[in-house]
Amino acid sequence: MLEVRDLTKRFANAVALDAVGFRVGQGEIVGLVGPNGAGKTTLLETLCGLQDADRGSVLWHHASLAPDRRKEAMFYIPDGIAPYGAHSVGAVLAFFQQVYGRPDGAVETAVESLALGSVIGKTIGTLSKGYRRRLLVALGLMTPHPVLLMDEPFDGFDLRQTRDIMQLMRRVSAGGRSLLLSIHQLIDAERLCDRFVLLSAGRVCGEGSLAELQSKAGLEGGGLEEAFLALA
Amino acid sequence: MRLPEALPSFHAPAGVLIAKEMRDLLAGRAFWVLLLLLSPLVGYGFDQAVQLYAEASRAAAQSPELARGLSPFDGIVVPTFGALYFTTTFLFPFVVIRAVAAEKQDGAHKLMQQLPYRTAVIVAAKVAVLGLAWLAMAAVCLSALLLWMLQGGHLSLSEVAAVMAGHALYAAVVAGIGLAAAAMTESMATAAILTLAATVGFWVLDFAASSDSGALGALSGLSLTAVLRQFERGIFSLGTAGATLAAACGLVCLAAVWWPAGRRVGARALASAGVLVLTAAAIAATSRASLYADAREDRRNSFSAGEAAALAQLRQRLTVTVNLRPEDPRYIDFNNGVLGKLIRTVPDIAVIKVAGGRSEFATQGDDNYGQIALAYAGRYARTRSTSANEILPLIYELTNLPRPQATPPTQFAGYPLVADSGVSRLWFYAILPAVVATAWLARGGLLRRGARSAIRP
Repeated sequence: MLEVRDLTKRFANAVALDAVGFRVGQGEIVGLVGPNGAGKTTLLETLCGLQDADRGSVLWHHASLAPDRRKEAMFYIPDGIAPYGAHSVGAVLAFFQQVYGRPDGAVETAVESLALGSVIGKTIGTLSKGYRRRLLVALGLMTPHPVLLMDEPFDGFDLRQTRDIMQLMRRVSAGGRSLLLSIHQLIDAERLCDRFVLLSAGRVCGEGSLAELQSKAGLEGGGLEEAFLALA
Repeated sequence: MRLPEALPSFHAPAGVLIAKEMRDLLAGRAFWVLLLLLSPLVGYGFDQAVQLYAEASRAAAQSPELARGLSPFDGIVVPTFGALYFTTTFLFPFVVIRAVAAEKQDGAHKLMQQLPYRTAVIVAAKVAVLGLAWLAMAAVCLSALLLWMLQGGHLSLSEVAAVMAGHALYAAVVAGIGLAAAAMTESMATAAILTLAATVGFWVLDFAASSDSGALGALSGLSLTAVLRQFERGIFSLGTAGATLAAACGLVCLAAVWWPAGRRVGARALASAGVLVLTAAAIAATSRASLYADAREDRRNSFSAGEAAALAQLRQRLTVTVNLRPEDPRYIDFNNGVLGKLIRTVPDIAVIKVAGGRSEFATQGDDNYGQIALAYAGRYARTRSTSANEILPLIYELTNLPRPQATPPTQFAGYPLVADSGVSRLWFYAILPAVVATAWLARGGLLRRGARSAIRP
């Protein structure tokens, strides 16, 4: 469904993304895995059109998708933001509902799914990190795009919350949406994702399911961590 | 049936975006603090104006000649709106900058860029809401004028409209500077420094250039305060209004170029250069418009109708060479009483200022200092008088125009009024701040209730 080819991005003399290429299928959960500084955030921002790429293309069902049209195909939830700090949680959810013409009850569904009921009237600037993260996930769910990109979606969640959000994401992908998640916790990525894109120093060093990565790395067992270390 | 590869199409209503920007404005502190400070500032300006006007009116009670000089435009309207000028210069930029910079700082900017709105629509929504904010500020000044009228004071609609237009244009450029600065920089503090440097810079430039008709004097023509002063004299100039509006639009376009994050600097620089060239062309084209309207009830900025009609018939260029320093009282008298009116009336006029940039000492030995030379179709005339009664006959003689019949002076009797500013003090120092503070405190609850009702209709 979505294909990235030869995506390259430089900052001054530093190469942040070096000819990155991978695919995301419909209804797939793809984990973008790599250490800090690997280029995960740059890749997501370049992919969704927030940053200009120096080279490369993004294909949507084999047809080129120009940067200014990517916001029709995908929506990106960044990491570490506390957007609309002076607004209430309910106001921001209602804003997204109205912008995308979502059906009545979409906000209530998102509030129930993310357990935001107790903070619905609170201003976002006063929320804890966990609630802010839940709100961001809720905003992602409010959008109707076929592909949802999320940067570190489990950052700030405890174990139980992480498990609940993972279940929610599986339901979302079962509904046909594709998720491309940047995750630096390999255990979380292994538990949730169908396939992985391993990124190291701006380069893709592996792509596929865990079994495919293990095979490529010549490993007979072990987890994603071993596969990553062997391939990176 | 929609094909699986078809991208979803969104038709996001602009009203939703404007409502969100409005909530942004009301949710922040900057706008409320501005209104709280504006109220006593306007109150003080109005109070002082009413007291001075009352003193002058008491003296004028015995003298119709003195009464003729009492215009509520000069005495009440302009001083009252002075507080709006101060607030627009020093406080309004913070409201403007917040509209862009707050989203950059909290990360909402990255979400906003992905919404199904064009950048131009998002920036236009911000401009629309800032326009409403400015109208709220202007309403504080208008409430003072309402109090003036309730006490029997006279107001001319055209005069108030001229002042409002001047302040609106001034605020539009300040908003443009603020938006562009906020879009081009990464922090509110940097944007604020840049904006205040520009607004205060205009002020300083205007002050420094007041005694210079050289390069600095020419630059002062670009000063925003000079633009505003023209409207505060009751002169509506289509050229000035058009050029100022073009500058404001250019700055907003510049903000739209820089608003999206992640664009290449080269692409932005190229687009910015294009915007600047187009803006400069628009300013040059609109400033050529030589349509003026004298909004003053006493017609102080115009020649009599007969003289204006006669001077408008001049087909060739009239050249006026002035050998007076700009700060010389004779020059100020000549400029206000004759030169300005000639510029607004004669179709083709050239003004040459030969004493510009020279000090008082430098002009002491110059025998020609103080002379005003007129040239038309190869004929010349000189005078040292700065009075219209002396200069207009010279022009008629020089141009072979028949001298128009003397028309009776405008029957402007003046509007003396001894008013009491006690009610206005109560309004501006107590009631209005209390209303603003109550609205500020109540807006949190209103926004929360609005959010809940949006979820459970």
